[in-house]
Amino acid sequence: MSLNTPKEIGGIQFGLMDPETYRDMSATKVITADTYDDDGYPIDMGLMDPRLGVIDPGLECRTCGQHSGSCNGHFGHIELAAPVIHVGFTKLIRRLLRSTCRECGRIALTAEEKAQFQENLQRAIDLDEDENDVLKAAVRQARKASQCPHCGAKQHDIKHEKPTTYYEVQDVLAGDYSERVAEAMQPDPDDSEDEGTSPQALADETGIELDRINDILSAEFRPTTEARKSLEKALGVDLTEEDMNKLMPSDIRDWFEDIPDEDIEVLGIDPGRSRPEWMILTVLPVPPVTARPSITLDNGQRSEDDLTHKLVDIIRINQRFMENREAGAPQLIIEDLWELLQYHVTTFVDNEISGTPPARHRSGRPLKTLSQRLKGKEGRFRGSLSGKRVNFSARTVISPDPTLSLNEVGVPERVAREMTQTLNVTERNLETAQQYVSNGPEGHPGANYVRRPDGRRLKVTEKNCEELATKIEAGWEVNRHLVDGDIVIFNRQPSLHRMSIMAHEVVVMPYKTFRLNTTVCPPYNADFDGDEMNMHALQNEEARAEARVLMRVQEQILSPRFGENIIGAIQDHISGTYLLTHENPRFTETQALDLLRATSVDELPDPDGEEDGKPFWTGRTVFSELLPDDLTLSFTSSTGDAVTIEDGQLVEGTIDEDAVGAFGGEIVDTITKVYSKTRARVFVNEVASLAMRAIMHFGFSLGIDDESIPDEANEMVDEAITNAHERIQELITTYEADELDSLPGRTVDETLEMKIMQTLGKARDSAGEIAEDHFADDNPAVIMARSGARGSMLNLTQMAGCVGQQAVRGERINRGYEDRTLSHYKPNDLSAEAHGFVENSYRGGLTPREFFFHAMGGREGLVDTAVRTSKSGYLQRRLINALSELEAQYDGTVRDTSDTIVQFEYGEDGTSPVKVSSSEEHGIDVDNIVDRVLESEFENETEKERFLGREEPPTNLSEYAGPGLNKAQGTGVQSDD
Amino acid sequence: MVDVSQHKLVPEHILLDDPEEIEEVLEEYNVSKTNLPKIRTKDSALPEGAEPGDVVKIVRESRTTDRAVVYRLVIE
Repeated sequence: MSLNTPKEIGGIQFGLMDPETYRDMSATKVITADTYDDDGYPIDMGLMDPRLGVIDPGLECRTCGQHSGSCNGHFGHIELAAPVIHVGFTKLIRRLLRSTCRECGRIALTAEEKAQFQENLQRAIDLDEDENDVLKAAVRQARKASQCPHCGAKQHDIKHEKPTTYYEVQDVLAGDYSERVAEAMQPDPDDSEDEGTSPQALADETGIELDRINDILSAEFRPTTEARKSLEKALGVDLTEEDMNKLMPSDIRDWFEDIPDEDIEVLGIDPGRSRPEWMILTVLPVPPVTARPSITLDNGQRSEDDLTHKLVDIIRINQRFMENREAGAPQLIIEDLWELLQYHVTTFVDNEISGTPPARHRSGRPLKTLSQRLKGKEGRFRGSLSGKRVNFSARTVISPDPTLSLNEVGVPERVAREMTQTLNVTERNLETAQQYVSNGPEGHPGANYVRRPDGRRLKVTEKNCEELATKIEAGWEVNRHLVDGDIVIFNRQPSLHRMSIMAHEVVVMPYKTFRLNTTVCPPYNADFDGDEMNMHALQNEEARAEARVLMRVQEQILSPRFGENIIGAIQDHISGTYLLTHENPRFTETQALDLLRATSVDELPDPDGEEDGKPFWTGRTVFSELLPDDLTLSFTSSTGDAVTIEDGQLVEGTIDEDAVGAFGGEIVDTITKVYSKTRARVFVNEVASLAMRAIMHFGFSLGIDDESIPDEANEMVDEAITNAHERIQELITTYEADELDSLPGRTVDETLEMKIMQTLGKARDSAGEIAEDHFADDNPAVIMARSGARGSMLNLTQMAGCVGQQAVRGERINRGYEDRTLSHYKPNDLSAEAHGFVENSYRGGLTPREFFFHAMGGREGLVDTAVRTSKSGYLQRRLINALSELEAQYDGTVRDTSDTIVQFEYGEDGTSPVKVSSSEEHGIDVDNIVDRVLESEFENETEKERFLGREEPPTNLSEYAGPGLNKAQGTGVQSDD
Repeated sequence: MVDVSQHKLVPEHILLDDPEEIEEVLEEYNVSKTNLPKIRTKDSALPEGAEPGDVVKIVRESRTTDRAVVYRLVIE
């Protein structure tokens, strides 16, 4: 379909529209406020005129001749009886009124000033600064002029009464001028020397004849402006009052028509595209019917769109206005109607103007007019254009499946039947396509629709599927179900980084949940306590290729956030590798093979020795089977021992979080960077399988008794805590005796608090140490804490030794009653237990008071996380909006969309964090690289000659790629690689 | 008054007074002067005598590379 080819937008222009253009493009003039006649047909020149487009199926558009669906609709127009102001431009109108001359329309700036502002404006545009600052400055300057520099006419201040009324403020003679003059002539009662002013003296001083003065005093003559000024000067009074002369929209329009083109440029308007008088509407465009469709209710009644309601109001008032004016109605009534028309046009554009009551529906609901359709989260921009509801997407609960590769996702069959992929039928896949169609929409893998070469779409049903299958030929399209190996996009909200959306390969499975390999939990931040995730089936070949090459999980193993792997072993995987390698246990042949059963290793190396006449393999040997043969690496494990890997053999050390864990496991990181992402994917998959086998071999469980310590240890803990209590009591005694020396920069009270906190902290630590000493090394909790699988030593000490001080806002608990935390304590009790020190362990059990304090601290934690997530979410939104248009260019610079340089070299070093070595000491191991390159070159030299040139590593091939894998005919799931 | 340019946290600001040198920079990055990052004249780190329209070269120590060179256009 040529219609579907993407087009490039060359540019977008914004400007005002000439009323003549409205009339030209208008399909019809709208004169009646009615919509449909009694027969249900749209009325000619009414709001639903068929020339404005059609929404009822079957009717033909009278403008373009197309039917509903293909006709986009056409604008009409209403001739307004009187001009009205467009609310969207009230600020600009005010600006223009204030800066131009009321007589000649020229801008009230001298030629030099004008040139200056024009230059400033150009510079602001060049420098990407806010043009508004310059424009505002120009208006401010022009407003200062009390006289027009061109024609000399006096200028008045403009008052803007929101939203759409403008006044000219003029000084005119006050109505009570005679009284004011008379009063000023009276002698000042507080000043005995002041004799007042006689009319004669006034006449002499002002040069006005005495008769006139008397006339003025009797209010029989209104002094001229000059006379008024001399009177004011002589008497020191103000004889004027402000008069507000309302500017009608028609006045403003006349005014704006006089503004010459060259003057509006200074005000930031492009005269080639817009004229200021076009901001005053004389013609109102009527949106096409398709933009305001009416709905037919169940009872056959028609319900009109809010915009139509608003247009009805406008036409009614418009007609009344015309009738009244023709009948010669008094000015007052005309003005009222004019204002009403203005109100309706205003609310038609924007119904949320402050100072204007919103137009309401009969039910009292405010109408949703033009502005409301665009604004806000659910508006056209954020709701319909940036964000859309899409087809071919699915959402359900996730659950773990360790048998899947990390590249895969288990998709419920029900979902697979709904999401389809388009299969273009050719001679070569004809049989496959027929198989899909004959399986029908219910069978899997089947098909839901077929499309004939003539473009007709047929639904595949249970009834017609067999028959349809025989009709399929090359050139048809079949919408087949998802099958194993299809690529889909998988996402979990909140999508905080790019690894929140990754591409997976489909494995169709029974039941209703999406299945994930547990190693992809960290990038999605997913767990299985009820989390749901979204899946999107890709609909064109470009998208599928891009997803496979760029978005597949294995391509995302390294996180650009810290340049190390984010995918790796977690939790039980780590416990498993720890058990397997820490004490290097021995396995018989059966056991060793069983451990490696879920991996691709199917042959054991030479045994490490013999025991009781049988060969044995050590855990480290078994683990080494997963490593690349030439891997050499050494680092320190999180358990604390040195790990040495030589030529793919784990010589010594424990494999734990620092080796294979997510978030920077050395081995995973190195394999990803040195070998390939595919090798890393294979490694992570196999480590996970091996670890699961290992942990099941040894058995791993944790119960409450695992956290109990012997009685003598408990006694030691108690003793440590009693000691702390004693020391605190000493501190309190010194404090009460006023003998406590304060620390520098702190009050005595603060010093005491600090010292008590310190003592209690030490008490908890020593309790912890005692408990730790009494845990066996094979204690499951200890294994988890040491290996980094889950939990920390602190968790252990809290379980076995002492929970410790509870804190609210970083201090001991001080809130509650007056001078005490609970009514159980005496006022001003400073002791540890009165301020939330929990001396018991979780296993031993908390006292009710301890429990309460613990809940206080716990609650603060919950509130904190809740507040933090919302705060950081907003912060992130703003950051994204600020940075979204920055792009690294091919020349290495980072620029925004206006080509302004942000960084001269990406990250100042021009390197991607994921391409950089993560080890601190040797950034780049040159020798190693040279060796490897030489070796591979040598191998290729002979091969290269025979084969055709360069061969890319098959990083992005499907795990299902290969001959003879025809999923439609139901070949089972292939093992990973 | 403290001379901030002597502070250790203030990187070296060099005024490019040779038009050819400026031209070279603009050519290297294929930009017009106005597409450079900006610095205001009131910025106290600016060297003496910098006028709007001038270009300064700033050489600073970087966390990722030892030396990072950036250019800024002086604006009012």
